[in-house]
Amino acid sequence: MRKIPFGLLLSLPGIIFLLVLVLYPLSMLFSVSFLRYDYVHPVTFYGFTNYIKIFNNRVFWLSLKNTIVYCVGVTSMTTIIGVILAAAVARIRRFSTVFRTLLILPWAVPLVVSGLIWRWMLDPGVGVYNYLLVLIGVSKQPINLFADPVLAMITCIIADSWTKIPFMFVLVLAGIKSIPPDLYEAARVDGASMIDTFRHITIPLSKSSILTGVLITSMFSFRTIDAIWSMTRGGPAKATYVLGFDLIDYLTSYMDFGMGCAVGVIMLVLISMFSGLLIYYLLRG
Amino acid sequence: MKARDVIVKIVEHPVVPYLVLTVFTVLMVSPIILIFLNSFKSSAETFAWPPTIIPKRFTLEAYMRVISSPIPMNLRNSVILALSTTAIVLLIAVPSAYGISKYPFRGSKLLMLSYLASRIVPPLSLLIPFYMLFSQLKLLNTLTALIIVNTYMCFPLVVWMLKGFFDEFPQELIDAALIDGCSKLGTMFRVVIPVSMTAIAAAGIITFLWTWNEFIYAIILTSSKDVFPMTVGIFYFVGDEVIEWNSLSAVAIFTSLPAIVFFVLFQKYIVEGLVKGAIKM
Repeated sequence: MRKIPFGLLLSLPGIIFLLVLVLYPLSMLFSVSFLRYDYVHPVTFYGFTNYIKIFNNRVFWLSLKNTIVYCVGVTSMTTIIGVILAAAVARIRRFSTVFRTLLILPWAVPLVVSGLIWRWMLDPGVGVYNYLLVLIGVSKQPINLFADPVLAMITCIIADSWTKIPFMFVLVLAGIKSIPPDLYEAARVDGASMIDTFRHITIPLSKSSILTGVLITSMFSFRTIDAIWSMTRGGPAKATYVLGFDLIDYLTSYMDFGMGCAVGVIMLVLISMFSGLLIYYLLRG
Repeated sequence: MKARDVIVKIVEHPVVPYLVLTVFTVLMVSPIILIFLNSFKSSAETFAWPPTIIPKRFTLEAYMRVISSPIPMNLRNSVILALSTTAIVLLIAVPSAYGISKYPFRGSKLLMLSYLASRIVPPLSLLIPFYMLFSQLKLLNTLTALIIVNTYMCFPLVVWMLKGFFDEFPQELIDAALIDGCSKLGTMFRVVIPVSMTAIAAAGIITFLWTWNEFIYAIILTSSKDVFPMTVGIFYFVGDEVIEWNSLSAVAIFTSLPAIVFFVLFQKYIVEGLVKGAIKM
């Protein structure tokens, strides 16, 4: 008998884990999505009925729309602020370590806690930031941000972006730092202003790290609901109800595993399309 | 044209980046500082309008309340959960990554791709399958279930991170040990692992933090106070009518503390590892 290669031997535990912890649940996800699997009827094969029911459900389309709004909101806010901060830190000589350390800190806060912190700061009854809005004259009364559908979505986006900006900042800063400084000097000699060099050197040459950040941020904001859970839990009137809540409701409220798994498959397909784009881009350089 | 020149003048002024950074740093750090200060207020003061920033009177009321709540137990659960997950993940990931990196075999490329692919699966998608499995295995509402799912979420990425590191590990060191009569396994334990300790530690800390921060699986799979980790336990102070803001603030600080400490102390290694790991998504 041939000996098992040493490398395979070392990877064996990992392979077993991969099969048991990923492949097995994944195969369950797909198979259950084709079953009528609730606590009312006997379990039977259901074909594509779960999917058809989901596609005919208004709540699904609403949650998909909210997910996209949320995702685009978090990604654009994170990217714009992240790039501004990275460009600013790349320009300064002194205190750059201090700023970097402080700016990274929100990364350390668990998302679910970040939701609670922002819920407190923006609370119409006790929130410091809400009071600041009154002080600077944005409104006469404290605003109940969590009662207004649009404002509730915006606050969720802020709470989520707050923990994601540090990552974008670090990634883009590394990208900017790798641009050779003589390029800037040459451009300055030719009379280019700082705005010109930012537009024609900084942005194009750190494009790959910015794009990586954009894709990763959008992927994570697509699939995490922690911050929304602790801020509004989908409310008011389902204004912040994203796809994840739809899935969880099938498990906790309706006990319909078949429908829940079908939502899970749809999420997986959507994310795979995203990731395919990311991998394609990264492989191309 | 003139307006543009003025803008250019303003942007190019050397003080501008400092100003921009100061404003944003205040915005980014203020939530942490405000919540820290809030934890020293009396509960009457947390409900006062207008809200105060610095407590009028520093009290440890909130901390006393937290100590007598289920939070210490939740803290213990979080520590057990994060430490066990980290140990298991490193135990599997270190040999896997080393084997794939230095002794590639038929199918090792495919294996790496499967690790990558398994990261693409959103954890939320597998929530219901895991729930069904654990309910069959009678593991619902146990720390074991949480350790299993967190291992699933962390280990593929840690393999990727460590494989990247082992790829850069000098082959001469390994060859020297082998020539001196060390076995392949002995080389791994006596040469490679000790030399790679920083990378392994960084991977371990990252696993610890991810597990510590995990919330959705924890809230769905557990149902009693004595099994909750911190991220779920914090909701003890969120009532239907009233939120106990000062105690909640104290718990928020506790929950964020390990990561803040790690980030400040080992910034370079962790940030590098996290960024590399995320790109390998």
